Amino acid sequence: MIQLSYLDYVAVEKKSFLHRLSPKIKIIGMVFVLFGLITLRNVSGLLLLYGMILALFFLSRTPIRLFPLTLYPLIFAILFVFISGFQIVFILLIFLKVLCGSTGVVLLLATTPYPSIFSVLGRVLPSSFVTALFLTYRSIFILLNILEETQQALYLRGGFQWRHPWRSLINISNAFGHLMIKGIDASEKMYESMVLRGFKNKIHYRGE
Amino acid sequence: MEQEGKMSHIHFPDGVLPVWLWVSGFIVAILVGTIFFRLIKKEELTRRLPLLGMMSAVMVLGATVEIVPIAYHVNLTVISGILLGPSLIFLATFVVNVILSLFGHGGITVIGLNTLTLSIEGVVGYFLFRLFWKVLKRLTLAIFLATFLALIFSTFAMIGVVSLGTSHYEELIHQESGKGLIGLEFGKEKEEHPKEGISEKEVNLKRFIAIILPLGFIGWLLEGIITAFICRYIYRLRPDLLHLEKASP
Repeated sequence: MIQLSYLDYVAVEKKSFLHRLSPKIKIIGMVFVLFGLITLRNVSGLLLLYGMILALFFLSRTPIRLFPLTLYPLIFAILFVFISGFQIVFILLIFLKVLCGSTGVVLLLATTPYPSIFSVLGRVLPSSFVTALFLTYRSIFILLNILEETQQALYLRGGFQWRHPWRSLINISNAFGHLMIKGIDASEKMYESMVLRGFKNKIHYRGE
Repeated sequence: MEQEGKMSHIHFPDGVLPVWLWVSGFIVAILVGTIFFRLIKKEELTRRLPLLGMMSAVMVLGATVEIVPIAYHVNLTVISGILLGPSLIFLATFVVNVILSLFGHGGITVIGLNTLTLSIEGVVGYFLFRLFWKVLKRLTLAIFLATFLALIFSTFAMIGVVSLGTSHYEELIHQESGKGLIGLEFGKEKEEHPKEGISEKEVNLKRFIAIILPLGFIGWLLEGIITAFICRYIYRLRPDLLHLEKASP
């Protein structure tokens, strides 16, 4: 599972020079990384870019535990290897582009709390969309709590066992069903309390 | 095996697809999003935003919780589409792709394309479910068929997107071969086996499709079964959420 709560904790609690930097500057930096990975078309250039992002990753003392997150998109990149007819240079190009992008965003997330990113996005994106982003983020943590309880129940019901695949599928599906119903109940309560606090269609961030 | 669960759709990473393609993806996604936005009343959207947030969160968690022995993750887009409706599921998939891209699970530049391919599941799944429910009147079968077919649609949409970038992949292969420090070394290798080099240097979409489809089939089946069970569970406890007619399944 994506270590979402840990990522959030690192972004809020750690105090490196990157953490102290303005979210706006970090987002602009991320745009430069994206521009680099789109325009660079040689391995040496991309290696240099990746090296720079990696250096920032370690200089900002981002926990190594988060590093595997940056490797996850390689699963999808592997599929493109089959297109190329296993050309090593092509594979290196694709892998480096993917790694530059994923390491960049993980670094951004590990050094910038989500609400700060949403606050910057709120200046360019429609308010309903940014509100939806924020509510999703909030809901993930509500669901993570429910999931923890559900995992216990799932474990007591047998969890996932190779010997009983059908029963296991039913258990997992019921767990997701439970998660959804509890989540929907929670969303209804959340809406009531938001309206009570004067919510119309926009969430205001501190400093706005 | 690791790739199996993701074969019903893939999240395109950054830097793989040509610029014109992902820019077009953004434009089309924004256009489609605007049309769907116009279809919902503002008050209705405001009222349902928390539900949208919650279902998007369920999809994000579904994409991140791996069923360990088979390394599969569910999308839950079809069931979310049924609960949210076709307009809101589009916005929800947009939100999901933005959040996932911030974990590196899919690229930032390709959020538009990823949204289009993923929302196909939700929108097509919603309409197919309504159709099958009307015809079959059997909940589990209707939801299974709707999910299975919706995933086929989205997989072919994804293959279509990948095939649109063919000339770009060729460009990347040919461009790098003749230059750069690393390119020189591979250049030498090519001189020794010139014929092999030429045949290997072509973009092979058939191979890509031959890998995607069989693995995708397993993904479609698993997602179909899991979604059907989830739907059955919801029907038992909160049938009102599914907005079905009075007839029981």
